[in-house]
Amino acid sequence: MTEAEAIRLAQAGNAAAFEFLYRLHGRRVYALCLRMVGNPADAEDLMQEAFLQLFRKIGTFRGESAFSTWLHRMTVNVVLMRLRKKSLPTDSLEETLEPDAENSAPKRDVGAPDLRLTGAVDRVNLERCIEKLPPGYRTVFVLHDVQGYEHNEIADIMGCSVGNSKSQLHKARTRLRELLQEELRQQAREERKAAKSPTGSLD
Amino acid sequence: MHCKELESVLEAKGLAQLSKDARLHLATCGACQGLIADFNSITAAANSLPAEVNPPDRIWISLRAQLEAEGLIKEPVEVSEKTSWWESFGAAWKPRTFAAVTAAALVLAAAVYVKRVPQNGVSDVAKKQTPVEISRPAQTQVAAVPPVTTLPAIAAPSQGSVPSKTKELAPSPSESASFTLNQAELEVPNMQLAGNSQVDAALRQNLRTLNAFIAECELRLKQNPQDELAREYLYTAYQQKADLLAAMMESGRGEN
Repeated sequence: MTEAEAIRLAQAGNAAAFEFLYRLHGRRVYALCLRMVGNPADAEDLMQEAFLQLFRKIGTFRGESAFSTWLHRMTVNVVLMRLRKKSLPTDSLEETLEPDAENSAPKRDVGAPDLRLTGAVDRVNLERCIEKLPPGYRTVFVLHDVQGYEHNEIADIMGCSVGNSKSQLHKARTRLRELLQEELRQQAREERKAAKSPTGSLD
Repeated sequence: MHCKELESVLEAKGLAQLSKDARLHLATCGACQGLIADFNSITAAANSLPAEVNPPDRIWISLRAQLEAEGLIKEPVEVSEKTSWWESFGAAWKPRTFAAVTAAALVLAAAVYVKRVPQNGVSDVAKKQTPVEISRPAQTQVAAVPPVTTLPAIAAPSQGSVPSKTKELAPSPSESASFTLNQAELEVPNMQLAGNSQVDAALRQNLRTLNAFIAECELRLKQNPQDELAREYLYTAYQQKADLLAAMMESGRGEN
């Protein structure tokens, strides 16, 4: 069965076609949800909601955009809606670094030493910092740098211009850099503290 | 070019498309070199994160149940509208149809059994049966004749005949349901389904998924008999399996 056949059959209510489409795209959608909300229970919920919306509206799909783009648009909408409702905390590290809004450029911490991240970014650090990004930045970053979508596809998914997608990605990377540098500083502070403490000096 | 201008170029064009001016600035500016190096580190680490993650099977099972409940899944009705009532009645007594209907009824009875036991005889099954009856009206009508005699035999232990104190000595609800399901399922491999058709492949895959899910629920219930969520999932899975087995048997009848 091809995707186009499955879409046609699903529009007629065929159960096997629904399942085919789910199996074809489910892993990507789940990864996106998981990365966006950071916990499996919410990700499962959101994924089910996204597919449910998709299948409810599948009769209206006319193929103007790619099916996967359509699905991702719906998923992103569902996720962002949930995040807005829950207003999950996006950051708790340093208020001074928090951008006023997603459309404004993040402030540079000019006085701070410029820590190099080369070799210091591991998956755990990165995932933790991705969760701290504001939802809009996070969406563009995950779609582009994790899932490999191009800016024109992201623009379709997010309903924005290509330029806007590029700008959001740049800001997301800049913000991530700051968050990762802050993590490194925090680690360095803890190491110094441990070294100064009596037990640390004994070791 | 200054650092701020380079950043504007990065924002507008990304890492890959730096102009000659930007590259000249980059060659002499340590801060901007650091920025680009950090961006490359972040991008490389992000690329190493999995773009696909396998979702748990329960999402599809739950989603499918929801699609059925909303009537979005419309299984093709195999009985022709032109068939007269006596032809339908006669066809019902053909062995495969009879088996399909009996299997569905048996499994449904098992599901009823599982649902009723933890609630001390208070049953909410009647309303929950409705989707099954609605989705297969032709079969349900036929099912009304033969399975009536088989229902009490299966449901008898659940009708309060086993005192609560001795319940642990009797087979557990999930064991009885499993037995009933397995009996019904035994009929399926003996049939020659379309085999190479995608629909049959999907049906078989569904059955495997459901069996795995049922096993997981049964295990959870064995470990914690008070786990109402697991019991609810198991009940839904039984209903779906009844449907699925009936569909598979019907498919076998159509092919043979």
